[in-house]
Amino acid sequence: MSLLEINHLTTSFSTPQGTVRAVRDVSYHVDEGEVLGIVGESGSGKSVGMLTLMGLLAENGKVEEGKILFDGKDISPSGMNTRKEKQEYEKKMQEIRGREIGMIFQDPMTFLNPILKIGTQLTEGIRKHEKCSKGEAREKAVSLMKQVGIPSPEKRLEQYPFEFSGGMRQRIIIAAALACDPKLIIADEPTTALDVTVQAQILELLKKLTKERGTSVIMITHDLGVVATMCDRIAIMYAGKIVEEGTTDEIFYNPKHPYTMGLLNSINNSSKEDDEPLVPIPGTPPDLLKLPKGCAFMSRCPYTMKICEVQMPPMSRYSETHCCHCWLECKDEKYITVDKESGEAADE
Amino acid sequence: MSETVLEVKDLCKYFDVKRAGKGSQKVMAVDGISFEVKKGETFGLVGESGCGKSTLGRTILKIYEPTKGQILFEGNDITNISKKKMLPYRKKLQMIFQDPYASLNPRFTVGEIIEEPMVIHHMYSEEERKKRVQELLEIVGLKPDHIRRYPHEFSGGQRQRIGIARTLALDPDFIVCDEPISALDVSIQAQVINLLEEIQREKQISYLFIAHDLGMVKHISHRIGVMYLGHMVEIGNANDVYKNPLHPYSKALLSAEPIPDPKVAREKKRILLEGEIPSPINPPAGCPFHTRCPYAMEECSTASPASYELEGRKVACFLYSPRYLKQRENLAIEPLLAGR
Repeated sequence: MSLLEINHLTTSFSTPQGTVRAVRDVSYHVDEGEVLGIVGESGSGKSVGMLTLMGLLAENGKVEEGKILFDGKDISPSGMNTRKEKQEYEKKMQEIRGREIGMIFQDPMTFLNPILKIGTQLTEGIRKHEKCSKGEAREKAVSLMKQVGIPSPEKRLEQYPFEFSGGMRQRIIIAAALACDPKLIIADEPTTALDVTVQAQILELLKKLTKERGTSVIMITHDLGVVATMCDRIAIMYAGKIVEEGTTDEIFYNPKHPYTMGLLNSINNSSKEDDEPLVPIPGTPPDLLKLPKGCAFMSRCPYTMKICEVQMPPMSRYSETHCCHCWLECKDEKYITVDKESGEAADE
Repeated sequence: MSETVLEVKDLCKYFDVKRAGKGSQKVMAVDGISFEVKKGETFGLVGESGCGKSTLGRTILKIYEPTKGQILFEGNDITNISKKKMLPYRKKLQMIFQDPYASLNPRFTVGEIIEEPMVIHHMYSEEERKKRVQELLEIVGLKPDHIRRYPHEFSGGQRQRIGIARTLALDPDFIVCDEPISALDVSIQAQVINLLEEIQREKQISYLFIAHDLGMVKHISHRIGVMYLGHMVEIGNANDVYKNPLHPYSKALLSAEPIPDPKVAREKKRILLEGEIPSPINPPAGCPFHTRCPYAMEECSTASPASYELEGRKVACFLYSPRYLKQRENLAIEPLLAGR
């Protein structure tokens, strides 16, 4: 059974310029003990999707639609109208955040409170979610600090965040995320702010600790190198939609969507023997305020057809794990619901 | 590719810092670096943040006054010449910045931004300048009607193109590219890299390319220098260094790079370094890397290794000193020269 199931999630933000739908009809699942990578460029909705899941959307954010099942429980944030419903949801989420789903953020400095000691911040979560004394919480914090490889933890617990380097702060955040043994960890660009050698240390640590505990991980990143090293499965996002999903090998060695192919062609990989020329994706990502009716990648795609403009591509499935949303891969005309002459959708 | 455009000899840049109770101290950001860049060549500079790569780039352009050492541009010493005498060189030495949002004046139109360097250097008549702005826009792949727009109307990749057009306005011979792609999205990075390569092929410009994305540096660079704590630990051909890094730090740095190929990534052995980069305020004595080096020997903590030439490369490590190489032959210690 999947640990987390997200179905048809749509999140929008109301802005002075109009409504931006940052996440559009996104569905995926995470199995127990699995590492899922979500890859996309900035503005593709990968982080907003996670914030929706955690119930941490900004004031102007709204969940239009969608069902979220976590560990058999329904934690869907949609369809709340009354204040009471909202309060109940908030109460439910407070139990889940930190205890069942841990989060690791990109910037360790904004996550940690600069005026509280590390010890206070680490024990806070443990004390909130587990019935234990201050002393027990502190013991647990010390053992966590040891596990994430911070030397002399007793002394370090008395220090403030500014006394730690970037890599050390990220270790503390990993410790905090693991404090209550969550079933799922969401890591939002956990190593983007770090140097490569420190990144390698942190990824290795995260891999080891989550393997030991059988924790599932959702890894949000734009770095294809990181997903290749860390993830079992990958979902590629573009302009708020998942365009392709598959196991790591399927995505890297048998990409189907033109955007995935474009991404793989535009990166260099230092293990390649000769320097093949880079093939960039032309153009820029679309404005989320002015999305086309059909496929959002249309304007940059080398294979655009007429149908791409007017209708969303259906899903094509290749294996149990691998699927892609592109008209190129659609072999059956019956999916086309648009009237040929007028170009208008017949059943919409 | 034989003519040397820029030569740096034993360049140092120390910054003074004053701290309460500790008096005046020196940050040794760049400490004794020598290398040269040939015409039409890209010299890649890699290293972790705080290793002094940006400081080196800026010191070469004399944005920072060098503390010690020599900078030779086309054979002329520009280290200690006056600002006035430096002016003609300013045209030839240019820079592309990392942040395409901060490096463009938001109150100027694109046309004004690109024209400004030519105005400052009294180049061309007004009409010619306008024509040149149009040409430059075309070179970097922007439309002619973009000239009247403001920077905020453009995306990150397009802004970086505007920055490149401004840099090219003076027809430079040498450009310091300080992390020009790290603020851009993956799909846009390749566009900018290809543009830089195209310009280089046409105009024979030399680049000093500073970046931390190792894959991209390898792609664009002919030669590469690896920096650690203000020192150049290894210099060599890009392919050689990547295939077989010699210095223990280069080995660790390159093995840490996440490779976007799952099969390679699974098999790859990582050399995980212990600890973190020491502070450049009180750098360790001897070899700067000896505190974290898995091969550290006694002499590493006392003496600073010279740059040893080996197979067309320069490595600053005692493991490659003639004395030690000989010793190793006799003792048949593990073959350090074997590939990673």
